[in-house]
Amino acid sequence: MLKVENLVKVYKDVRALDGLNLDVKQGQVYGFLGPNGAGKSTTILSLLGLIFPQEGSISLFGEEVFRDGKYDEGKLVKAKARIGYMPEHATLWDFLTPVQTLDIIADAFKIPKAEKEKRIGELLDLVGLKEVRNRKVGKFSKGMRQRLLLAQALINDPELLILDEPMTGLDPKGIAEFKDIIREQKKAGKTVFFSSHILAHVEEVCDTVGVIVKGKLRLEDSIENIKREFLRKAGYTIIIETNRPVDFSGVEWSVTPLGENKYRVLAEGDVREEIHDFVANQGAKILTMQVKEPSLEEIFLKMVK
Amino acid sequence: MLWGFQLEFRQSLRTKKLWVILGIMVLLYIPVFYIIKSIGGSEITVEGAMAFLIQFVTGMAGFFIGILALLMGATAINSEIEKGTLRVAMSKPLKRVGYIGGKFLAHSVVLFLALLLSTVVGTLGVVWLGAPLTAVLVRDVLLLNMLLLLAMVQLVALGYIISTLVKSSSSALGLALVLAFVLFLIMPNVVGYLTFKASMNNPNMGHDEYIELQKEYTTKYLFYVPTSQVGVITGDVSNTDGDLANVTYNGMPYAIKKNPANLGILIGLTLVYLGIGFYRFLRMDLR
Repeated sequence: MLKVENLVKVYKDVRALDGLNLDVKQGQVYGFLGPNGAGKSTTILSLLGLIFPQEGSISLFGEEVFRDGKYDEGKLVKAKARIGYMPEHATLWDFLTPVQTLDIIADAFKIPKAEKEKRIGELLDLVGLKEVRNRKVGKFSKGMRQRLLLAQALINDPELLILDEPMTGLDPKGIAEFKDIIREQKKAGKTVFFSSHILAHVEEVCDTVGVIVKGKLRLEDSIENIKREFLRKAGYTIIIETNRPVDFSGVEWSVTPLGENKYRVLAEGDVREEIHDFVANQGAKILTMQVKEPSLEEIFLKMVK
Repeated sequence: MLWGFQLEFRQSLRTKKLWVILGIMVLLYIPVFYIIKSIGGSEITVEGAMAFLIQFVTGMAGFFIGILALLMGATAINSEIEKGTLRVAMSKPLKRVGYIGGKFLAHSVVLFLALLLSTVVGTLGVVWLGAPLTAVLVRDVLLLNMLLLLAMVQLVALGYIISTLVKSSSSALGLALVLAFVLFLIMPNVVGYLTFKASMNNPNMGHDEYIELQKEYTTKYLFYVPTSQVGVITGDVSNTDGDLANVTYNGMPYAIKKNPANLGILIGLTLVYLGIGFYRFLRMDLR
């Protein structure tokens, strides 16, 4: 669906992309993470032919649209007809209303009139702008602009939806609606490639995550695998509660009492069975046992460091 | 191309600077016509009125719409990058050359409409002074418009180069204003002084010879000022000693035919500027 190989983009003396590799499969909701200046937006702009990388290749829908500094404009235009893009920090034309905006964007895709009108109505309903359909965009709040930006990205019913920090400026209700829309896209078999710095959002809607640091992909996997791997490397934190006190002296794990009959065990691996046996050997019983999962944020911070 | 055209056309017509500049220009027409009427408008001949109209429109519209054209061009691309609208537009299945071509076409149409407004107001003024509305007047007014449009298009194209070189639209606007000041005020005066100085070497130089020298210097040293090139051409529309009652009217076709080099400079330089501006847009990072 989307493949990037050894992409290099240098701005003056800054190497924004340093041999980036990406492989996004059809139907994936791919969360693209990275600290500020890591190269997220540069990657997205390259995918759309908006900037010129110096080296590498980009393939969209199985067609190579870019190689070593040159876009194949014919192939790129064809690919863009199947893509929806929502940019970061953008506004739309202030003098147009949402209906006029979507109408003119639909014209770029040569959508027939009847279909266009139907689609515009559906989208304005979907993003909650039906009531303000004839108000000038110049009078919109940041959140309303974001909603319209999403609507324009969906006008062509895209197979690949590229979203750059899409939830910035949205209120909690808007964020929830936004996540629903992404889930709907996934259900419909669409591919979503979306960058965000709000990791909780990524964790909730994405099935695969890529972490870019200094222009290089440092990690790419499913969230489950990433967490498992992180636990394997960084160690397990297990919280247990027993029916009576347990003496943990002599064990190879680090144990900290947390209160009456409650302990935190830090171990290199998954030692839940060993803990169970150890407690049982002392004639005690485990009432609760919980492996504390790392948040994506913890993993991300560790990666960035 | 049509997509970029319809968007830019609607946008340009809603630009405040367009209406402010046109408003000031049209307001300036009124006192000028009143003054002419009061200092002997009753003695004005048809030829005198037409000669006056052409010179006057060239001067006024050339200056005001020239500034407008330069400002339009200078903020055409960078302001869209700043707002993010260009990223939205170019993420759609459009070719860059089609988009910039449509934008350019829209700017040209808007400038043509502005020139038309200026000419219509000017023509109404001349008719009010007593000149009849003849076929020759209409033909020459249209030819004048085309010539001025070419000059304005050159300024838009020059603006595109600025717009692709200067990232900030406010800096580009400042640079365009400075450039307008240099092109329309400073350089013509410098060249005017040089012409005068050169004429001092020949104490026997007559009026006609002086005019020829002025044209030669303007062609040579102000080739990059399109309104000056138009001025050279329209200078041959009539022969006058400054008295509107004593004018020989040659017409626009005669003036254009007599100055092929200036027309060539206008067209050639426009193509060069457009080539550079378009090439830069096709190769630039839109971020």
